[in-house]
Amino acid sequence: MNTIASGAALVALILGGFGTAAHGAPATHRTRAQASATALGPHAQADPDTSLDDFLDEMADSTDLYFGKSAAARDTAGLDSALAYALDHPENQPHERALHFGVMPSLAFNRVDGPVWGGALSVGDARRLGQLRGELQYAVGPNEWLGGGSYRTAVRRGETWWTGLVSGGRSSHAMDRDHAVGHLASLRALLTGSDRKHYYRRDGWAVHLERETATSRVGLGYRNMLEKPLATTTTWNLLRREPKLVLNLPAERGRVREIQLETGLRLPFTPVTVQLDHDVADGAIGSDFEYGRTRVAASSEIGIGDLATLVPQVAYGRQTGDAIPQAAFYLGGAHSMRSLESASRGGTGLALARLDLLGASDILRLAHIPHPAAFPIQAGLFVASGAVWGADPYGGPARPGKDGPRSEDWIHEAGVSLVYQPGIPDPTTLIRFNYMWPLGPGRESRRWSISISRALDLVKPIGEEE
Amino acid sequence: MHTEVPEVLVHAPRVTLDEILDRVARGEARRESVLVDETFTATFRIVRAAKGDHPAAMIEERVWRVYKKKPDRVRSVLLRQWRVKPEGRGNVRFNFRSGMSEEIVNFAFRPEARRDFHYRIAGRDLLGNHLVYRIAFEPRSPLDPSEPSGLVWIDTNDFVIVRQEVSFKRSPVPILLKDIDRMVVERQRVGDHWVLARLLMRAESNLPLPQLGRAFDVSMHYDHYAINAGVADSVFNAPGARP
Repeated sequence: MNTIASGAALVALILGGFGTAAHGAPATHRTRAQASATALGPHAQADPDTSLDDFLDEMADSTDLYFGKSAAARDTAGLDSALAYALDHPENQPHERALHFGVMPSLAFNRVDGPVWGGALSVGDARRLGQLRGELQYAVGPNEWLGGGSYRTAVRRGETWWTGLVSGGRSSHAMDRDHAVGHLASLRALLTGSDRKHYYRRDGWAVHLERETATSRVGLGYRNMLEKPLATTTTWNLLRREPKLVLNLPAERGRVREIQLETGLRLPFTPVTVQLDHDVADGAIGSDFEYGRTRVAASSEIGIGDLATLVPQVAYGRQTGDAIPQAAFYLGGAHSMRSLESASRGGTGLALARLDLLGASDILRLAHIPHPAAFPIQAGLFVASGAVWGADPYGGPARPGKDGPRSEDWIHEAGVSLVYQPGIPDPTTLIRFNYMWPLGPGRESRRWSISISRALDLVKPIGEEE
Repeated sequence: MHTEVPEVLVHAPRVTLDEILDRVARGEARRESVLVDETFTATFRIVRAAKGDHPAAMIEERVWRVYKKKPDRVRSVLLRQWRVKPEGRGNVRFNFRSGMSEEIVNFAFRPEARRDFHYRIAGRDLLGNHLVYRIAFEPRSPLDPSEPSGLVWIDTNDFVIVRQEVSFKRSPVPILLKDIDRMVVERQRVGDHWVLARLLMRAESNLPLPQLGRAFDVSMHYDHYAINAGVADSVFNAPGARP
């Protein structure tokens, strides 16, 4: 799947790179036997087995007929001498630099940092000598410099990828550590002041080592960071609307030394992916806070013929020890309960169950509504139930519960979605327009939202190539 | 002359589909395991498809000589690069992987892929002393549009895939591509080894690209193989070394 996706991405890249066409060089049709007989270095002849070869040749002939010029054999004139020359003059080869340079802007906007202007520079390739990356940003709100550096390397041994990452610097992080801040959040904050995330500052360094195969992932990490609360500095937005949220939830200040374990597994013979994350911070390793944080999640996709896919997902989180806001679990937003604002509820325990039904057909085409072929729209339905319990990071009364919530603390929702699946950056990336019905008494009135997420967004993907 | 023999009832268990799939996975793994090094000529080609009075036209062709050696050595030497507009800059960079597993052929038949596809036997062909199975596969769920359906031909002498035809029920990248009409992957036998011969794909973009149009073909050809011929390590170390 990844290989095919890569092939499709290749086609997409080609589309981006080509703009001219004219008549090409004439192609020469050759049979498979002729193609193997031309000398270009040592080669081996096919064993004579005419029945199978004739059968395959016959099918190849029909392929030739369909693809025409694309399928024609190559003109081999001059290739021998070209090879000899290329080997004697390697300096004339297209320069395959050992160091690949990349420069990109690094921009963000939120109510604690305000506009963040910066850029990132990367050198190298993680799959070769490693990639060194540096980022420098200026946060206009607090007038602070942010940034840092990282070194990442990836080595493949057979079917196993080993990845190492060392990073350090200063950055702002979302209080909900299970869901990173995306560009959509920055865009919302900038345009309409719909910035509902909470942030804190991290200063320090981290290391991470990961082993990944096609079906499993194991990662071990350590971080040493000073975590600090942040205050709101920016309340303006381009459309001059009233900010949805002004106050920023303050983090507990302190140095965190944390060991992280991350595992993921695609269960054999089932369409289920499970993930277990466990983070431990302890005074024995010099941490100001002591806690254990465990999160278990499972996602699945169940096809209903060619028509639709059921996507059941569950997550359970439990935190023990110091109940600091930056280690809590949060409920609300595109990745959990869509009828709740992002991270609007929190606790030391989390339970979430969500069921999505995603149609595969283009409903606009089915309804005979003219539309560009680039924008097929699919329909979706969803239901979800979730709860948090334990100490409230927002300072409210603790919700009773140790290993699970009370039944009355569960909240529920149902909704419909219009879904667009662009195919990039991931084939299962969904841009969703959701209309929701919060179920139950005393619920929030949030009715609609726009979100961008992967279809199976409670677990990290496994086995996707570097 | 007509010869008739009495019918003979054969009692023998037919190989199940699961057993065939297991054998294909093992056969493909065995195919790769016996390869130590390989050298071949690879040709990449983009052709604008024919439309109306306009015939098909080649846009670009690149030819490399590629050297691979286990566990992880690879080197490619560009032999020819032809573009319809020579002054144009090719934006697609090619990196040949060091692996010889040919995942483009067997992606749906690797052990970890069994949970992602349905399989069925589409037919059998007896060709001399070769029994060729045709196995159809399709994704278990339509969630990921980049997962194709397809048909493979399996030579049960080695239980390797000798040909594959792939189709997509919907575009895997609809924002760019309208459709991938057809994709064919062929292998060839070189000595005792089955290796890639051709990969051909016809696609249609949503927007007509200037002078490229909407429909185009992308192909990769692999030939002039030398397998387990002993490629020196110096080929991969010294820029001027010869194989």
